[in-house]
Amino acid sequence: MRKKKIITYLAALGFILILNFLLPRLLPGDPFMAIYGEEAALSLSEAAKEELRAKMNLDKSLIAQFKVYLLTLAKGDLGYSYALNQPVRTVISKVLPWTLLLVGSALILSTLIGLILGIESGWRRGTRADRWILLTVVGLSALPNFLIGILLLLFFAVQLGWFPLGGAVTPYSGFTGTAYLLDVFKHLFLPLLALTLAQVPRSYLLTRASVLGNLSYPYVRTAAAKGLKPLQIRYKHVGRNSLLPISASLGVSVGSALAGSLFIEIVFSYPGMGSLIHQAIAQRDYPLLQGILLVIALTVILANLATDILASKIDPRIRKE
Amino acid sequence: MLQINNYHLSYGKKKVLRGIDLVVNKGETLALVGESGAGKTSLGLSIGGLIGRESEPANQAKVQTQGQIIFQGKDILHLSAEELQELRWSKISFVFQNVSNTLNPVLTIWEQVSEPYSSHHLGTRRQAREQARIMLDKVAFPSAKINHYPHQLSGGELQRALIAMALINKPEVLILDEPTASLDPITRQELVQLLSRITKDCAVLLITHDLSVASALSKRTAVLYKGKILEEGPTDKVLQTPHHPYMRALLRSYPHMHSSKDIQSINLNLKEPAEGCVFFPRCTQALPICQTTAPPVLEFKLTVLSANAKEELDFFGQNGSSKVACHRGGIVPYLVVHRLSKSYGPEFSLREVSFMVFEGETVALVGQSGSGKSTIAKLIMGLEKPDQGNILYEEQKTPFPRSQEFLQKVQLIFQNPYDAVSPRLTIKEIIQEPLLIQKIGTQEEKNAKAIQALADVGLPTEDRFLHSYPSSLSGGELQRVAIARALILEPKLLIADEPTSALDALVQAKIIKLLMGLQEQRGLGMLFITHDIALARKIADRILVIQNGEIVEQGLAWEVTSNPKHPFTKQLLAAASVF
Amino acid sequence: MVDYQAKKEFLASFLASKEIILGGCLAIILAASFLILPWLLKGDPYQTSLNIFTPPNKEYLLGTNDVGQDILAGLLLGGQNSLKVAVGVGILSTCLAVGFGVLAALVGGRLDTFIMRMIDIILVIPNIFIIILVSAYLKPSLGLEIILISLLTWLGGARVIRAQVLSLKERTHVYAAILFGANLAYIFFRHILPELIPLVLSIFLQGARRAIFMEAALGFLGIVDPNVISWGTMINQSLNFFYLDVWRWWLLPTAGALSLSLISLTLIGRGLEETFISNSERRSKIATDQ
Ligand code: SF4
Repeated sequence: MRKKKIITYLAALGFILILNFLLPRLLPGDPFMAIYGEEAALSLSEAAKEELRAKMNLDKSLIAQFKVYLLTLAKGDLGYSYALNQPVRTVISKVLPWTLLLVGSALILSTLIGLILGIESGWRRGTRADRWILLTVVGLSALPNFLIGILLLLFFAVQLGWFPLGGAVTPYSGFTGTAYLLDVFKHLFLPLLALTLAQVPRSYLLTRASVLGNLSYPYVRTAAAKGLKPLQIRYKHVGRNSLLPISASLGVSVGSALAGSLFIEIVFSYPGMGSLIHQAIAQRDYPLLQGILLVIALTVILANLATDILASKIDPRIRKE
Repeated sequence: MLQINNYHLSYGKKKVLRGIDLVVNKGETLALVGESGAGKTSLGLSIGGLIGRESEPANQAKVQTQGQIIFQGKDILHLSAEELQELRWSKISFVFQNVSNTLNPVLTIWEQVSEPYSSHHLGTRRQAREQARIMLDKVAFPSAKINHYPHQLSGGELQRALIAMALINKPEVLILDEPTASLDPITRQELVQLLSRITKDCAVLLITHDLSVASALSKRTAVLYKGKILEEGPTDKVLQTPHHPYMRALLRSYPHMHSSKDIQSINLNLKEPAEGCVFFPRCTQALPICQTTAPPVLEFKLTVLSANAKEELDFFGQNGSSKVACHRGGIVPYLVVHRLSKSYGPEFSLREVSFMVFEGETVALVGQSGSGKSTIAKLIMGLEKPDQGNILYEEQKTPFPRSQEFLQKVQLIFQNPYDAVSPRLTIKEIIQEPLLIQKIGTQEEKNAKAIQALADVGLPTEDRFLHSYPSSLSGGELQRVAIARALILEPKLLIADEPTSALDALVQAKIIKLLMGLQEQRGLGMLFITHDIALARKIADRILVIQNGEIVEQGLAWEVTSNPKHPFTKQLLAAASVF
Repeated sequence: MVDYQAKKEFLASFLASKEIILGGCLAIILAASFLILPWLLKGDPYQTSLNIFTPPNKEYLLGTNDVGQDILAGLLLGGQNSLKVAVGVGILSTCLAVGFGVLAALVGGRLDTFIMRMIDIILVIPNIFIIILVSAYLKPSLGLEIILISLLTWLGGARVIRAQVLSLKERTHVYAAILFGANLAYIFFRHILPELIPLVLSIFLQGARRAIFMEAALGFLGIVDPNVISWGTMINQSLNFFYLDVWRWWLLPTAGALSLSLISLTLIGRGLEETFISNSERRSKIATDQ
C-alpha cells in the first residue's frame, strides 16, 4: 500500500518533469524563446545564445536534451531568470516564505473552522441551523477564490480603508519588533481571510458528510447510553472519527490551498509565488514559471506523503499489526 | 425496581410499541423475546431514554411516547437531559448487540471501558483505568489486549469488553440487547455462563430472539409481537407449553434439541393490523371481536380440569402464573375428556381417561391394539355412550346424541380408506356427502367446495376425476378423498384413528405432511391415534400412552420418547423400529 | 428505476429538491439572457471609442471600460463563451469519464489497473497548475481551452463511475440476470446504466462548473487567447482601476454574473447529490427495516 503510493508520487513527479521538458521543445517556433523566455531571446548576444544552446544540447536528440535537463535539475539548478537577472532559485526562495505563511495559516484556520462547523452542523442535521450553515458554505464554495479576495479587497481596503491595499509589509517603514509583526499581520489579514473562506467549504463538507456517516454507527448510541455529555460525544467520539477523512485528504487540501493562494496573492499583490507567476506570465519569463510550478508540484507531493504518514498514525485501522 | 406502564411509542405514523406493561425486579432477569422488528430494541432504548434524543436531533419531533417508565419513583420519559445523563450507566446500563462499530473504532478498549467511570466522576482517570482493568479481568478479557482497538479483537472478546463496560459503574438495571448474537455456539455458551454469574445483583432485561439464551438466563419471559406483549410467564412454561398461539408458533419454528416434531410455521399474513389484536391476521382461533378490539391481558387459567388437576397444573402452569393478551384467554382447549370410563364386560374396561386437545395441537394417543384407543374415538364422536365422565367441546358439555353443530366441527378419519367410502358413489358424491347431509349450500357452492377440498388435499380437480369411482384409486388417494370429505365441513378438530396404518410408508409420509400443513393453515386440533410411537414422536406435540384402558404416561412428545417413565412406554420404545 | 412508478417517483424527487429548482431556474435565466440579449441590445464588445470610463447611461447600460468598449456587450459575450466552455467541457469530460470508468470496471484486469494508476498519478498535482503551465505556452483559443480542461477534469469522474459500476456489478440482481442467461450488453443497459444516470448528471454539472471556473481563472491570469472576451479577463483588467469608481459597473456585474453561474450549477449538483443519496439511503433503509 505504502509502496504503491510512493510509486504514484514518483510517477507524478516524472509526469510534471516530462511536461516541463516537452512543452517548450515541441511547440512550433523557436524553442530557445520557449525555454529561456522573452527577455533572454531579446537581450542576449548571439554568442551567449549559442553557448546556452550547446549547454542544453538543444541541437541534439530529445533524449540527450532530457539527460542534461535532469542533470541540471539534480544539481539544484532551477535555471536563470533573464527578466529578473537572478537565478530562479534565489527568486523563489525570496518569496516562498510569504506563500508558506499565507497557505500554512489558512490551512490551519480553515481546517479548524471547517471541522467545528462540520461537526456542529452534522450533529444538528436536518435542523434549521444545519441548513443555513450548509447553504451558506455551499454558496461560498461556488465562488472562485479570487472573487472572494476581490470583494474583501474592495470592501475592507478600498471602501473602508481598514487594511492596506496590497503587499506584505509597508515598504521603507523601518518597523522592527512588535510594530513589524503588527504590520505583517495587517497585510496578511485580508489575503488570509480570503484564502480561509475559500478553503473552509472543503473541510466543512468533508467533515459534515463524515459526521453524518458516523452518526449512524451504533457507537454513538453506546456513547449516549454511557451518559456522556453531548460535547464529549460530539468531539471525543464522533469528532475523533470525523478527523480521519480530513487528515487523510490534507495533501489534497495543501494543493488546493496553494492553487487558491496563487490567485489571492495576485488580487492583494501579496509578494508570494502567485504574484511571481503572474509576473512571469506577463514577462514571458518561462524559466521562472517552470521553476515555480516545479517547486509547487514538489511541495504538493511532499504534502501528500506527509499526509499518508499522518493518516496511518491517526487511524488505528490503517496502522496494522 | 423498573416498572413500565402502558408505554406506547410511535415514530411518525409507524407504531413501534403499543401499550407495554412490564415489571423487572432486583435480582431478577426478564427475557423479552420476539422476532426482529417486534420492537424489542426500541423498548430497551426507551428505558435508557435513548429514543430519538442525541442521535436523531432532527427527528425528535417524530417520536411520540405515551405512558410511563418508572425507575426509582421517577418517570424516565419526563427526565431532563441532565438527569438522564446522570442516570445512564450509573443506574441503567446496556450491553449492546455486538455489531460492527458498537464500540468506537478509534479508541482503545481500555479507554472506552473506563470512560463511564471517570465521566460520572466516580474517580480520577487513573482510578477509572484501574477499575476498568478489574472489570475486564472479571469477565476474562485477555489482559494483553487491553490496549487494542476494537477491530483487532474477536467477537467474543468484544462482547466481553462490552459486558465489562456495562458493569463498571455497578448499575442497578442492566439491559442486555442480544448479548450473544453472531457468536459461535461454544463462545456463546461461555458468555451465557459468564452473564448468569455476573448479573445476579441487577434487575436485568434480556432482549433476545434466541430462545435458548432466554431459557438459560431468565426466570420469566415476555413475548413481544408487533409492539405488544402477548404472553408473559415463567420461562420454562412459556418455552414448553406456551398459552398464546403466537408463542407456540415461534417455538415450533425454532429448531431446538427439545423437540421431536418437525418445525412448523404459521400463516404468513403480514398485513398490518389496524385495531384489535395484533396477531389477528395470522390467528387461526380468532373471533370477530378480535378484529376490532384489542384483547385484554388475562391471567392464564385452566377452567376445565381433568382428573389429575394437580399434575395438569404442574404441566401447563399454575393458574395465574402467566398473563396472556387474548380474547380467548390463550390457546383454546378444543376437546376436554374428563374421567371417561366405559366397560365391556369383565375382560375390558376404560378407566377414568382424561386429557385435553388444544387448538392447533396434535396429541398422539399411543397404545397396542385392544388397549381402548378406538373406543376413545368412538366415545368422543358419540358413537357410544360412556358409563361415566364427560366430554367437553370448546368448554361446553356435549349432548348425547351429538348435536349437528358438534358433528360439523369434529370429524373422524378412519383407519381403512377402502372401507370408509362407498364404492357405489363417485368421488364427487363422496366428498359432497357431508354437505348434502347437513343441507349446506346450493349445488354450485357444493361443487366449488368439493373442488377446493380436493385441491387442499392435493388431488386432481378435473371432471374426469370427479366422476370416477373409488375402485380406480389407490389407498393413498382414497385416504386423501376421505380427508377431503372430512375437511369439507371445515372442522376444528380431527380425530384420526390410525389413518395411515393401512398405507405404504411413502404414501403415509405424504398424508402426514398433508395433515401437518392443514394444521398449520387452519389451526386444526388433532387427536392422532396410533400404535407407532416413532410416528407419534414426529408428528405430535404431546403423547398419551394408553395401556389396558388406562393412560399410563403423558407429556411432551420429545420428553416421553427420550425420557420415558412408565415401563410400558419403555417397552413401546424398545419395540419401535430403530433399523 | 425500471418500472414506471419508480421513474415517476425519481422525477418527483428531483422536483422536490428546492436546490435543484432554484439552481435550475437560475441557470436557465442566465443562459437565456446570454443567448438572447445580444440580439436585442446590438452592442459591439470589441468596438473601442473615446468615451472611456463612462458611467452607465442610456447608450451604455453598464458604461464603458478603459478603452471605451461597451461593458454590457462584453459581459454578455463573455457569458456566451463561458456557456460554450461549460457545455463543451461538460459533454466531453462526461463522455471520457463514463467511457473510461465503465471500460475499466467492466473489462477489469490489467486495463483497469493501468487506467486507474494513470488517473491516480495525474490527480496528484492539482490540475489548475498543469493547465496554467500548458496555457502559458499555448495561449489557448476557446476550442483548445475546452479540450485542455476536459482532458484534466474527466479523471475524478471516471473514478466514481468505475466504483459505482463495480459495486453494481456485484449486486445480486445482476447475478440473477446473469443466471437467467443475460449477456453483458443487456446487463449494462438494463441493470447498470439506469443506476448511473444521477451520477452522470452530477459529473456533467461538475465538469461544467469547473470549466466556467477555469475559464475565468485563466482569463484572470491572462493566459488565454487575447482576442477572446472572457469574464476572467474583464475582472483582471478592471482590477487595475480599483482606485476609480469604475469597478462598480465594470467589476461587480462581471463578478456577479460569474458567481451566479457558478452558484446555479453548484446548487443543482448539490440538490442532485442529496436526492440521489437520500434515495439510495431510503432504499437500504427499507431493506433493513423489514
Ligand atoms: S384469539 Fe386471541 S390471539 Fe387470536 S386474534 Fe383473538 S385475541 Fe388475538
